[in-house]
Amino acid sequence: MENLTIKMRSQSLPFFLVLIGSLLFTQTVQAGGGWTAGKGNGYYKLSQWWIVADQHFTDAGLIDPNVTSGIFNTSLYAEYGVTDRFTGVVYFPFFSRATMNNQISETTGNIISQGDAINSIGDTDIGLKYGILKNKKVALSATLKLGLPIGNASGGRDGNLQTGDGEFNQILQLDAGVPLSLGKIPAYFNTYVGMNNRSEGFSDEFRFGLEAGLGLSKGKLWLIGRIDGVESLKNGSLGTDINSTSVFANNSEFTSASVEGAYYLTKKLGVSASFATAFRGEIIFAAPSYSLGIFLDIK
Amino acid sequence: MINLKNILFVGVSALLLTSCIGDDIVEDTIEPEVRITNPIDTLERNTSYTFSALAFDDAGMQIDPNQVRWKSLDTSLIEIDSLSGEAFAKKLGTTAIEADITYGNVLYQDADIVHVGNTTVVQTVARTGSLRTTSSYTLRGDFTLIEENDALQLRLASNYAASSSLPGLYVYLTNNPNTVVNALEVGKAISFSGEHVYNLPAGTSINDYQYVLYFCKPFNVKVGDGEFDN
Repeated sequence: MENLTIKMRSQSLPFFLVLIGSLLFTQTVQAGGGWTAGKGNGYYKLSQWWIVADQHFTDAGLIDPNVTSGIFNTSLYAEYGVTDRFTGVVYFPFFSRATMNNQISETTGNIISQGDAINSIGDTDIGLKYGILKNKKVALSATLKLGLPIGNASGGRDGNLQTGDGEFNQILQLDAGVPLSLGKIPAYFNTYVGMNNRSEGFSDEFRFGLEAGLGLSKGKLWLIGRIDGVESLKNGSLGTDINSTSVFANNSEFTSASVEGAYYLTKKLGVSASFATAFRGEIIFAAPSYSLGIFLDIK
Repeated sequence: MINLKNILFVGVSALLLTSCIGDDIVEDTIEPEVRITNPIDTLERNTSYTFSALAFDDAGMQIDPNQVRWKSLDTSLIEIDSLSGEAFAKKLGTTAIEADITYGNVLYQDADIVHVGNTTVVQTVARTGSLRTTSSYTLRGDFTLIEENDALQLRLASNYAASSSLPGLYVYLTNNPNTVVNALEVGKAISFSGEHVYNLPAGTSINDYQYVLYFCKPFNVKVGDGEFDN
């Protein structure tokens, strides 16, 4: 049992790391859950995440239509164990595209509002995780993440397109992970809570999540399910005072469910795909998001 | 063994297919209308007055006003030139002046009840209406469009309330409540409850528009509207 647990721990770690884009909208980095990477170990991923939405959650939590808009992030994610206790994490969307459809008059067939698109780098996260406790039963960690506003917060013809929100995030997150096994099948459970202190009049956020993973085919195929949530403290500016939309609006909230499959092609190389959708939200796109990725797990 | 090239191909194809700018169809059809823009209450006997009108098609686009035809329902009281809209009051009484336009083989009309009297009286220069939400966002309250000291003002009443959650809530005057195309942008919403006033730009006439429209520009979302009752 002990050996199995240790093996599961070792193999499940990368899948904690394959979480870029798994949060429905924010793509928050959740490196490794409660576990740190371990000195010299690394996890690297090239992925594509996208969402296209023609509706959004209103401030009452209902769903209203909007012009079809999309965000497409091509990103690099890297995690490296500086020491056994410290793990550095970087999420860098080096190509981010935001689009907005043409609006065509049903009556005349003419374009009444020209579509638009921007391409840029996106808001980038850097983080440092500290392993508080790690044993066979539980792993606890604390992570400080900084969200760097290097995306475009006001792009396009009318300044309505964004690849970032223009504000500086400071996120402190606590993770707890538990290794499990279902017979001979390795599994794990992880949960986290976090606070996001935001600048530029954006409201601060409380973040939380649950995650469970199951390793099939002798740990080559991992199936992961997640619940993630962001609750705005609504202590910033009025929504109308900040010209942010899509997944970047102020005072936005959501609770989402996602599933991910990750498959090891070799001992180090793998591919992953995920699907996420929100079942409640406020002032944020109401549409599923998807991601595809290739990862390299070096340990 | 899964082919990595195939995986990359599927991924790139999915990205290319979804990241283009597509088309959204906006349901913007409305009832065409013709609107007398300078109605009067009373026309002094033996004097002339030239009526004018605006006409709009089913997309709210303005139709050439020269297509408007004018008619007096009692030519013994008031005669009117059917093309120019110039009316002449002949004797005391009450009749109606009609503006007609044909669009898509359908006749659309507006009428002004006019008395012939001893002095010309222009109608009250105020138009009123009530806002309604057409979305899940709060929007309600009464409004008045009024001329004061040769300036036009849009006044929101004390019962006005609007959601402050949307980024970029804007106020428009329009002839098609389904779009901001050809609408007059009054400005960004300056208040979300209670009385307040927007000053309209010079050159705007009180009868130029038929609706007040609230629209979230960044999301391209209509929040609500209100039609003038008069």
